[in-house]
Amino acid sequence: MVGPPTGDVPLLALEGVTKRFAGVTALDQVGFELRRGEVHALLGENGAGKSTLIKVLGGIHIPEAGTIRIDGRIAGIRGVADADRCGIRIIHQELSLAPNLTVAENIYMGREPRRLGWLQRGRMRHEARELVARLGLHELCRVDAVVSDLTVAHQQLVEIARALSCQVRVLVLDEPTSSLSEAETEALFVTIDRLRQQGVGIIYISHRLEEIIRLADRITVLRDGRSIGTQPTSMVNQQELIHWMVGRDIKDHFHRPPHKPGKVALSVRGLHSPTVAGVSFDLHYGEVLGLAGLVGSGRTELARALFGIDRVRGGQVLVDGRPVVLKNPRDALAAGIVMVSEDRKKEGLYLGQTVGFNLALPWLREWIRWGWPRPARRDRIVQRAISEFGIKTSSADQCVADLSGGNQQKVIVGRWMEHRPRILILDEPTRGVDVGAREEMFLIINRLVEEGTAILMISSDLSEVLNMSHRVALYRDNHILQIAPAGQDSPEQIMAVLTGARM
Amino acid sequence: MRTFRQLIPLLLAVLALQLIFRFGLPYVWWDGQAIFHWWPGISGFWEQGNQIDIVQQISINAILAFGMTLTILIGGIDLSVGAVLALVGTITVSILAGGGAYNSGALAIGLLAGLGAAVALGLFNGLCAAKTKMPAFIITLATMLIARGAALRFNEGRPMHVPDQETFFLQLGNGRLGGVIPVPVIIMLVIFLLAVLLLHRTRFGQHLYAIGGNREAARFTGIPLVRVEVLVYMICALLAGVAGLINTSQLYSAEPASGVGFELNAIAAAVVGGTSFTGGKGMMVGTLIGAVIIGILDKGLNQAGVHFSLQYVVKGLVILGAVYVDVRRRK
Repeated sequence: MVGPPTGDVPLLALEGVTKRFAGVTALDQVGFELRRGEVHALLGENGAGKSTLIKVLGGIHIPEAGTIRIDGRIAGIRGVADADRCGIRIIHQELSLAPNLTVAENIYMGREPRRLGWLQRGRMRHEARELVARLGLHELCRVDAVVSDLTVAHQQLVEIARALSCQVRVLVLDEPTSSLSEAETEALFVTIDRLRQQGVGIIYISHRLEEIIRLADRITVLRDGRSIGTQPTSMVNQQELIHWMVGRDIKDHFHRPPHKPGKVALSVRGLHSPTVAGVSFDLHYGEVLGLAGLVGSGRTELARALFGIDRVRGGQVLVDGRPVVLKNPRDALAAGIVMVSEDRKKEGLYLGQTVGFNLALPWLREWIRWGWPRPARRDRIVQRAISEFGIKTSSADQCVADLSGGNQQKVIVGRWMEHRPRILILDEPTRGVDVGAREEMFLIINRLVEEGTAILMISSDLSEVLNMSHRVALYRDNHILQIAPAGQDSPEQIMAVLTGARM
Repeated sequence: MRTFRQLIPLLLAVLALQLIFRFGLPYVWWDGQAIFHWWPGISGFWEQGNQIDIVQQISINAILAFGMTLTILIGGIDLSVGAVLALVGTITVSILAGGGAYNSGALAIGLLAGLGAAVALGLFNGLCAAKTKMPAFIITLATMLIARGAALRFNEGRPMHVPDQETFFLQLGNGRLGGVIPVPVIIMLVIFLLAVLLLHRTRFGQHLYAIGGNREAARFTGIPLVRVEVLVYMICALLAGVAGLINTSQLYSAEPASGVGFELNAIAAAVVGGTSFTGGKGMMVGTLIGAVIIGILDKGLNQAGVHFSLQYVVKGLVILGAVYVDVRRRK
């Protein structure tokens, strides 16, 4: 497949790679090196820049600065096709298959075998069968199966098969095992081992430390868009890794308000749904309950179930001690529950509309009576939200898409504040928000808590959860593992629980 | 095999319609009275000549529907086919009529100019759809109006007679091979075969399914999106042009106002035939059967003396039912 290693030149070398998004530095002078036949794990908290880094490699993002070398030569990767030419294959976390096509058709998509202009279906099927057998992906032996009929795990294997169906020099696996069973994971590891022996360089991204320690030759840790360092796996243990990842000193300059819990606001008893596995907890007025979990742990799904978006199969939800049935968001709003979703562009804002439109929307009843709009009332609602939450906008008529991420977030939260919600679910309230706006968001949370609002805060940022919450619920595999007062466990201990590491 | 199993309900529907129209009346007596008073004269339906007639009538719709299927497969649509059909007829006939005495040169130029105009419109549709972010629905709605306007410009919107000397051109719509099989049916079947080969036996066809299934995935696997999309709209318009020639020939004249609503019948045929509106699912065989069903409904209900107002209702219900069954089955 690949020639013997030539001297000490690494297969892939990144130097000083920098990438910014609208002022936020996602990658800051990152250096990275991959040898032939090496499994190199890329580790870091959510938002540390792992995904951005592999998208730069795949030609999806173009970095502002830095070089990418392959075999010591600069590889001008300016698009997906260039990365392809260099033999870089990426298996993304989210699947990119055509669900209407068969396994074989997906594997050879864009490179279908043909002769004299005619598609060679037989050959395609035959080659797919051979490939699948060679890779040991026996689950896919029915190459005529339509992809939408397969389980998610098998769909992922189709992606792997596709990536390996042509010349591959660098293989990037982004959380490949997140939806695989143990046996499937084993099969994948065998495949990875074989590729390693063939001299393929493998970049492996995973939250599961056990896997990384077992598989990886070297580990590089990213934190806040910077490369913290690279170590041979043999030199570190899980505890050190966790410390390395969490790293930063927990900043002290934002404080949660004093914990003065009132009555129980929200009580969840054995909540069950396809994506929630028996969750129970109490949330008090005047309290922030932090829900700490890694991406994919099912936190957002819990929030969606509580807000009536996803159907619930069993269990009970009580608000103020009275059972409520949440069949849709209207029920949840009527019960006094408000949710601010993590994807503010898709699920939160009317991006094409003005700040005023977005702020006044939930309160149509207040300013339109009997089909008669009252602009003065609307203005009062809008202006109050703008001034109270310090939304930086030229006027209420500015398009909300033109605001910064932090101000957009303030619009979403502020829109619910005309009458204070009793229970507020915040899903990643500071995602994609700069430091200043983050602090302001915390001030808003503090004020609401002091006024007595019950807040359920979901965040991937551990230091944020630990600083802002009074109690912390650790979430993994769709259920709560433990609830403890914040400060009882160290960040390292918590990270160990979340990643499933054995200490 | 899975694909062919999908067709079974459709074939059964065709059979059922045939049976209803053939035997329906004699067996629905009740107390000596026909339940369907408005359903007399049904016995003529099954006669051979009548069947051929229906096939001939569906030819134009089927040809349009084949092209429509391609556009729907990639998640698009082409509303301009009816107007293109009229425009191609008027352009061709105006050149034929202008040529005065019969000469084969005029015929060639007329056909080329007509089909060329169709392909140019298809190219425009395709480029707009692929290069801009405008939705295909709007783009082709606009070109539908433009093409219709262009067609009405000829001869002040009045029909133009096809010169009697143009025997070849008149054969297109009215000739019968061996005195039995109408030429339009043969053209339709040839196009059908070509379309089947294109869709199921070439990379191009495979790419249509890939684009309809997951556009981003198709892009990341190096499928030339723009080229494929443009070609699809060009093929669709070209087929509309061929249908326009047949239509003109059948009418013995180019009617600038003809073809109104044909695009809807073509969409109906594709959708009844199992083409998914979200893209990525559909087959030419299904579309052909869909066209047959729509044709039987049109012609059959007419033959049966069903009041024309009711014909629309029945057609609407059949489309709704077919798509409902399809959606349920796919869940």
